[in-house]
Amino acid sequence: MKQTSIFRSHAVRSLFYFALPLAGAITFVGCSDDDDPVKEDVPELITTVELTFTPVGGGTAVKATATDPDGEGTDELKADGPIALKTGTVYTLDLKLYNGLLPETDEEYDVTKEVEDESDEHMFFFSWTADLFANPTGDGNIDNRDNPVVYADLDENGLPVGLTTTWATKEGSSSNGAFRVVLKHQPDLKSATSGYNTGETDVDVSFVINVAE
Amino acid sequence: MTNKVVMLFVALHLCVSVVAQPCRGVLTGQVLDETGALIAGASLSLKEVSGGQLSDGTGHYRFKSLCNGRYTLVAQFIGYQPFEQTITLTDSAALVVHLVPDLQRLEEVVIEERPLNTEHAHNVVVLNERDLEKTAGKTLGESLKELPGVSTIQTGPGIFKPVIHGVHSQRVLILNYGIRQEGQQWGADHAPEIDPFIASNIVVIKDASAIKYGSDALGGVIVVNPPELPTKAGLGGSMNTVLQSNGRSGTVSGTLEGGITGHDGWGWRVQGTAKRAGDYHTPDYGLTNTGVKELNFSAATGYHRDTYGIEAFFSRFQTEIGILKGTSVGNVDDLGAAMERQPPQYTRSFRYDIGEPRQEVMHNLFKLNGHLNTSRGILRMQYGFQNNGRTEYDIRFGGLSSTPILDLILNTHTLETEWEVTTGRSSTVCVGVTGMMQNNNNQPGTKRIPLIPDFTTLSGGTFAIIKFQGEHWDADFGGRYDYRHYDVAGYNSKNILYKANIHFHNPSFTAGATVRLPRKQSLHLNVSTAWRPPHVAELYSTGKNLGTGAYELGLLLDTASNVVDIRRSDFNVEQAFKGIVTYRRDWQDFFVEVTPYVNYIANYIYLRPEGVLRQVAGPAAYFRYTQTDALFTGVDITGQWQLAKAWKITPRASLLRVTDERQHDYLVFIPSNRFDLGVRYEKLTVSRWKDFFIESQVRYVLKQYNAPRAISPRQLLDAKAQGENPVSDGRNFDFQVAPVSYALLNVSTGISLPAEKLRYDFRLGVDNVLNTSYREYTNRLRYFADEIGRNFIFSMKCIF
Repeated sequence: MKQTSIFRSHAVRSLFYFALPLAGAITFVGCSDDDDPVKEDVPELITTVELTFTPVGGGTAVKATATDPDGEGTDELKADGPIALKTGTVYTLDLKLYNGLLPETDEEYDVTKEVEDESDEHMFFFSWTADLFANPTGDGNIDNRDNPVVYADLDENGLPVGLTTTWATKEGSSSNGAFRVVLKHQPDLKSATSGYNTGETDVDVSFVINVAE
Repeated sequence: MTNKVVMLFVALHLCVSVVAQPCRGVLTGQVLDETGALIAGASLSLKEVSGGQLSDGTGHYRFKSLCNGRYTLVAQFIGYQPFEQTITLTDSAALVVHLVPDLQRLEEVVIEERPLNTEHAHNVVVLNERDLEKTAGKTLGESLKELPGVSTIQTGPGIFKPVIHGVHSQRVLILNYGIRQEGQQWGADHAPEIDPFIASNIVVIKDASAIKYGSDALGGVIVVNPPELPTKAGLGGSMNTVLQSNGRSGTVSGTLEGGITGHDGWGWRVQGTAKRAGDYHTPDYGLTNTGVKELNFSAATGYHRDTYGIEAFFSRFQTEIGILKGTSVGNVDDLGAAMERQPPQYTRSFRYDIGEPRQEVMHNLFKLNGHLNTSRGILRMQYGFQNNGRTEYDIRFGGLSSTPILDLILNTHTLETEWEVTTGRSSTVCVGVTGMMQNNNNQPGTKRIPLIPDFTTLSGGTFAIIKFQGEHWDADFGGRYDYRHYDVAGYNSKNILYKANIHFHNPSFTAGATVRLPRKQSLHLNVSTAWRPPHVAELYSTGKNLGTGAYELGLLLDTASNVVDIRRSDFNVEQAFKGIVTYRRDWQDFFVEVTPYVNYIANYIYLRPEGVLRQVAGPAAYFRYTQTDALFTGVDITGQWQLAKAWKITPRASLLRVTDERQHDYLVFIPSNRFDLGVRYEKLTVSRWKDFFIESQVRYVLKQYNAPRAISPRQLLDAKAQGENPVSDGRNFDFQVAPVSYALLNVSTGISLPAEKLRYDFRLGVDNVLNTSYREYTNRLRYFADEIGRNFIFSMKCIF
């Protein structure tokens, strides 16, 4: 089993330490570790969530981002926006996740890939101010998994993921409200009925949204 | 299961294959001083038999599995003349030991012979061999819970951290074989890395008087004492097997010891323990992923002559512990949902597998010590090396679940020297120097910004203790000066390197006295000051804590999470002032011990909730290490009533109140008031069986009424949505109100079978007989799940 491997390596390490107990006593006097600790890359860390609404018929894409540049520090997350969509338009929403503590050239800068690789354990949920969209109708599937959201991608088990979704705004009068995106990590829990309350939250961001002519 | 059958078979087989004499005799008695007051913790041994023991809290002792014949009982206690008496044993005998104070020959009391490292302590409770038999199979922390004034901070059914008088972690010093235990004690879910099977007794010193082991024992000291090494040829040992229904666990522990023929003075011992448990269960559901795997080993050898002795010891402790899977939360909203959900998320049927989240801990100890008795005094030296490895795993994404989130190796060297001389007719002086070098290294590859930085610690201390002895009293005074230097290098939350060089130094003092009063009364007093350098974790922690999804930030991080220089912070060293009195009185058939105490800790460091932050993963609660002045007041009461010959009633109470003096508030996770009532029936001989007993214990634990206010995750989120911060007033809070009071019933029965060549002790116990659903305030998993339900425990010990 994979769990035993660390055990074994500890055993090796500790045996090594015990080969030199007296050497340890000698270094007692002046041993100090002058080497800097190794810097870890942190592939799971998400500092930026990027939403791109692309009109299906062509036109300018609408972007919105939420960023927390200090990661696990105490600076708060900041969401830009508002997300300005046009009435009576069909959009494809692509979600991107980035780790801003890494340079953009780094292979692990784009965290979206990790979610894709583990799409059978991850699922995005959405909620919005009721009746912003003609399709999906309603107010989203965070309060109830069965409410409609138009997922455009599936995992290997045929369950929706949500990195790509489709949204059609209503015709006519303009409206505005809120738009919330949640990514849940549901290892061994993701199913046709698992909802917002299942698993652990990896992403939970909210934006102001305006739909106008 | 087949594994266990094999182990059991091996255990039995080992027992019957060793040749010894037919031994069924029992020698019992009590140790008293010249006024008739009982003496707890006196060292007792039989010259003809290897190994010794300590008198228990009521002065009683008991040697089992003795052959008929003549024995010489030797009893020793500091400040008293050694006692020696020969008796003839036929099946059983009783001998009351009256110790006489020793004024002239104090220097001849060879302290090395006392397995206790407690010669300056006045307020002591002991977990003796019989108590340890009762808790066999439990962890060190859980075993200690049996003592008045001692409780635990718990993380599920497998992780217990000892708490003395409400104080824990860095403030409780653990001496393992005379060496200060150095692990990652800062974590509330980091239990001491010690196998309780290595101990012949465990002593808890409830005052800060054990000044020679360090200045930082603000709460007290736990002393894990091994049995003494044999000095004569022969072979002996024991084999323990413990089976428990809850968790379907099995524990096997064996000891083998002996001397070397023709080389008197040499002795050796090897010992090992293996334990395996699966998911524990509450009365209503299983606690998924709470299994334990443990494998421990130790070996000791020593050579003892009249004037000198030398010993070498090695021990290895290795465990893997699962943490309830349902505690995995990403943000405050998840925490709110997890707290409302019953049973916890991820609950599945019983398994032995341990998955994430889990901990793997390994602790190696190597020790070398010696002493030399000269005409001018005793010289003692000790070197210890400890190698502690800790890896923690969490549910992660990106295929990283098998990569630890925390991987630390901590190496500690300690060197201690002391010189003890008798300076007058009735006084002794002990002076010493101690040094420690410690290196904490994060092992690269966790793909996570380390929660605590790398650091190198250098510390040194020097102490002097003087003891005076009077006819009805003894007193001691001690002083100590310590210096500690940290060299720190780590990464902040933006993954930027920082370095720091900081140092602390301070004196500490203790004064204590024992007064023996007429009518079998005694009074033990101690006042002490102690100080504690902060742990690096308390200064620089940055990251998420397993279990509550909360962020923990060190004292030296500013509001923008940058590390500030300690000289520009308002940090002050933690300092304690503790006063404690133990009063004992022994009537003919009733014994009472009352221990009131007060402990004022200035600049007490604790995690204070600061609010809720919006992060990418949603709203997270964050806690910051903060300082306040804390006042601990309490009393421990123990009684024992001998009702007729065979019945014993033992009432007990531990009361404690802790206040945050700066905020006029309470602190969280403080043990609530608890009461015990034990009833025991004993019969020495039942045909060819010996030592039959049956006992029941009722434990009543009150709700913690002195708890800070509760603000639920939902309330926090609602307030956040409206731009408010309900905790901005700086007062403490808890996510949930304290659990309600509960009562538990435990029963157990046992009997010994002296067979041809050995002795078997059988014990059957049931914990939580009524299968009560309850939650304990000091269990960190109380937000998520109930405590474990009914548990049948069967144990068999074979001594040869």
